[in-house]
Amino acid sequence: MTTLREAPRVGRQLLSSVSHLRPRAPGLDRYASTESTPPVVPDVELDSGLATPIVTRESINILDPRKRASSRTHELPHERYRFHAPKYYRGPLHPVQPPPSSDPIARDFAPGPFNLPRLKQTYQSTIASDIMTMMYQHTPPGTPDKPERIRLREWDDSSPYMKNRPKRGPRGADVLFPLEKSIDWRNIPEIRAVHIAMYLPQAKKNIDHITVGRAVLQSIAGVRTATTATRCSIYGNQAWEFIDKTINLVFPKIKEWRGFKGTTGDSTGNIGFGLEPQDMQNYPEVEAAYSMYPSKMIPGCRVVLETTAKSDRHARILCKALGIPFYGKIVD
Amino acid sequence: MATRLPSALPRRPTTALPFSPLNTHTSTAYLAPSHTPLSHTPSRAATLIRRPRRPYTFTQLVQLSDGSTYTIRTSSPLGMYKSTKDTRNHALWNPNEKALQNVEVDEAGKLAAFRERFGRGWDSATESVEQTPGATPEKAKKGAPAADAATPEDAGGEDALADLISGYAVGMPELPSISTPARGKKK
Repeated sequence: MTTLREAPRVGRQLLSSVSHLRPRAPGLDRYASTESTPPVVPDVELDSGLATPIVTRESINILDPRKRASSRTHELPHERYRFHAPKYYRGPLHPVQPPPSSDPIARDFAPGPFNLPRLKQTYQSTIASDIMTMMYQHTPPGTPDKPERIRLREWDDSSPYMKNRPKRGPRGADVLFPLEKSIDWRNIPEIRAVHIAMYLPQAKKNIDHITVGRAVLQSIAGVRTATTATRCSIYGNQAWEFIDKTINLVFPKIKEWRGFKGTTGDSTGNIGFGLEPQDMQNYPEVEAAYSMYPSKMIPGCRVVLETTAKSDRHARILCKALGIPFYGKIVD
Repeated sequence: MATRLPSALPRRPTTALPFSPLNTHTSTAYLAPSHTPLSHTPSRAATLIRRPRRPYTFTQLVQLSDGSTYTIRTSSPLGMYKSTKDTRNHALWNPNEKALQNVEVDEAGKLAAFRERFGRGWDSATESVEQTPGATPEKAKKGAPAADAATPEDAGGEDALADLISGYAVGMPELPSISTPARGKKK
């Protein structure tokens, strides 16, 4: 009896599930692109922004939430019936999976981005193409590639024990630095991260230096630091905004500032600089609440710009394009 | 946390695949110890999904000194930031702007008169280094002491005012070993 009652539903399910398998009417789909004309995309928007109707406050119909709540006859379900994202991630095979972090109900959801940073916009529209164009080196087609410089040393097979040994590193240093590749459209140097660190030896005597340092760091970088750490790394839009702020607002206010030292850099494309304690008040965030800080305890900081460049030369080119001058002897 | 799909396979095929043919040999005489990756009980520590801790950020309108404005996300609660000194009115970023250069305005000729009378030893270090080649023959004509431009101490630039001190010391009758003959000529 049960099966008889279930029969039509099962049949409907079967039909609906295989509906995509049924043959279509012929001649509806054409997969050739011979006759189709590309869509015309006008360069300028045809609709003027001035033609949109002006929205006044009276025209907006807002339901009064208080009135709506009082007129409600039934009770709303309790808060605990709401869906809460799981607190723990228990692996890919667990039946309860947390929602992705882009979901607003996820625990690790962070809203944003709220704006496109100005320096990032400049980079994408101007700086990247400029760097690529200025760094172009023409090689006539058909030119054979230059053989790569061999940096690992071979073993001379003077002893039978040297057979199949891995090659030795360069003399004097056991680390191979990355090779600088010529800039093309795939590897235009870009800012990857900004690392800010404060060195507070005075905190051994007075722990308040760490508190002040963290407050300054949080206000200028926009991220929380760990509880006892006065260093942080910022990525993405925050890094762009920090660099923009530092270049355009902070560096010009420093007295006798000439630029970055020409010898800076760790030879793998990371450029560093430092700010004195008296320079920190040039940040707009510190300046806005400067009277709330104990001014004697505001520390300086060291900043490292981590770029995607593989050499200091390329990183320096990026920094110059961003508006950072260099002084002194340039060491690549 | 690479893949969260339940259907996704784990990276290492040996960790957890309960129905894979890899661990069919457990039914044979050899039984894998429980601590090996081939164990039947999947054990994985749960990872706490932390809520992001971030300071409140406001949208702030920044006005540069040339009047251009843009918005930034900042932790400062002020709605607008007007900059008085930035890259738009700084000589380092605008090397061609004459108004930003630190040029000496001497319309009344007072500075020139002062230099004619007292020499250029008062000038700051960088200026004396720049202007010595032009100024030296002029001083020689006027009879002003030319020694300060010719001595290597001034070319170093560090002790532009040092000749005043040494000139003062020359008048004193003590310490004849310190006084240089060049300074002695000046007095």
